[in-house]
Amino acid sequence: MDTIIEFQNLEWKYENTKEFALKGINLKIQEHSFVGVVGANEQGKTSLLSAICGLIPHSFNGIYRGQVLLFGKPVREMDSLELATKVGLVFSDPEAQFTAMTVEEELAFGLENIGYSLSEIKERLEWAAQITMIEDLLDKSPYDISGGQKQRVAIACVLAMNPPIIMMDEPTSMIDPLGKRLIFDILRKLKEGKKHTLIVAEHNIEQLAPLADEMILMSDGQIVRHEPTLEFLTNPLYLREQGILPPECTEYAQWLKNEGYLSPDTRLPLELEQAAALVMPLFEKKVVK
Amino acid sequence: MTEITASTPLTTLPTRKATARKTLLGQVPLDSPFYAFHPVTRLILFVFLGVIPLFIFIPEINFILLLVNLILLRWGKVDLRRLRIYMPIIFTVAIFMFTVVILAPGKDPSYTPLTVLGITIYYQPFFFTFASYWRLIAMLFGTILYFSTNHERDMLVGLRTLRMPFVVSYVISLSIRAAGMFMEDFRIIREAEQARGLDTKAMRFSDQAKLYVMYLVPLFSIALRRADEISNALFARGYTLTGRVGTGGKRSDYIRSRYVMRGRDWVAIFILVTIFAAVAIAQIFFGVFALTHSPLNIYLRTILNIPN
Repeated sequence: MDTIIEFQNLEWKYENTKEFALKGINLKIQEHSFVGVVGANEQGKTSLLSAICGLIPHSFNGIYRGQVLLFGKPVREMDSLELATKVGLVFSDPEAQFTAMTVEEELAFGLENIGYSLSEIKERLEWAAQITMIEDLLDKSPYDISGGQKQRVAIACVLAMNPPIIMMDEPTSMIDPLGKRLIFDILRKLKEGKKHTLIVAEHNIEQLAPLADEMILMSDGQIVRHEPTLEFLTNPLYLREQGILPPECTEYAQWLKNEGYLSPDTRLPLELEQAAALVMPLFEKKVVK
Repeated sequence: MTEITASTPLTTLPTRKATARKTLLGQVPLDSPFYAFHPVTRLILFVFLGVIPLFIFIPEINFILLLVNLILLRWGKVDLRRLRIYMPIIFTVAIFMFTVVILAPGKDPSYTPLTVLGITIYYQPFFFTFASYWRLIAMLFGTILYFSTNHERDMLVGLRTLRMPFVVSYVISLSIRAAGMFMEDFRIIREAEQARGLDTKAMRFSDQAKLYVMYLVPLFSIALRRADEISNALFARGYTLTGRVGTGGKRSDYIRSRYVMRGRDWVAIFILVTIFAAVAIAQIFFGVFALTHSPLNIYLRTILNIPN
């Protein structure tokens, strides 16, 4: 797979702040991978995503050292139109990204900016609405729908533009459990489609881990760990110290390994079904005894 | 007494069918005969009803225009009870205008003094204020009619159909959004204060005024943050200030393409423009709608023996 995003020793400090928000970031992200970004609040997750989509340095003032390459071209040299065709960002507060009066207009806005024809806009709009299950919301005001629906509309807006890189900044932080599940269902669909590179900053590691190919842990503006998801979760204690709660099923399996109930080379589960498949034989043995 | 069984629901949700839809600036009916017209026709009606009182000084005609607005509101299936929210502004404008004309009528030897309830008023400025008040009210109801029968989107489609540049119409759209959000934030802050026991009704007027000034601090800080967020959202969606599109060609207008001008629109626009032009010409060149032609003015001058 090709590297499509490359950070080369990026440092970023927002205007009027003492500390650098990003410190010496070196990172390569491969095409069509799903990358989870985790970390406690104020550790640099949003800044990392903003540096990829060009909000840093185009929309914020500050000190920018090093560079970020998107498809081999420095982000700093790209304008908003070029960036919008390559990378889409879903913000954590869905309402913050609405600029139009109806959901349909909201979806059409980005497509009009890119310069699609009316028939292309219609086709893409309907496709994005179908994937995100918002077909019945198109003529409503984006302020007149529930939090989960708002976030799905925000995702649809990005999807409709069909950029090869889709990023989401804590997309489930403001919505109810059912809404969260729907968002992860959409992410699952996108991952299965294998047409997009997905980067998701999220606290909900329980649902993120089963989808992510690799995980990044941000701490104090630095990438302290960047590993395939399974390796990333092998040290739950360390993650807890960093303010991350690993999936309970992974923690439980790790404990079973540490206690000798599972062999050391057992592959840790990321989802409940995988954990059940590991643990059920143990119960069966016990019953037999 | 009704016996409650296992199958009896303990609470029954009211099944009230919605008849109106919330917009950022108020409410519009779900169904209205106005929707059969293209947004640009409705926009021209708004300009017609909102601007035509400027050419008409005769209060009786402006009063008739007000009645026309009310009839159109009724025909447009607008809940007329909602007009109560405009009562404070209607009375405040009246109190302000008439207080000013009574206390500061201006100096002119030709003014005719009259004593009403022990107060000296001057006929000419007072009648002029009376006529101006009805012009304002007619214009206000024209605006109410428009915002009670049009979604924000209709206004934008109307403006874009009239070939307004995309950037200008977009700035108007963002302004409407900002106004709506400002009012929504204001409501939330007030409710949060009331939830913590603040009873504004028990407060003196001066304290209420101070409270409103205090609201401005959080409201403006929220507005500034929102402006920042919207700016980031526009950047992320590839928007440029000039409205330039990625392909370098002409910008598609998807929403406008969903509306079609029909025969009835052209007929309505023709009638409105013709009447507007006729009224404007009649007033500008012939003074047909001047105050001196007001039947009420003529009648009062006759019985009060005031020369023209």
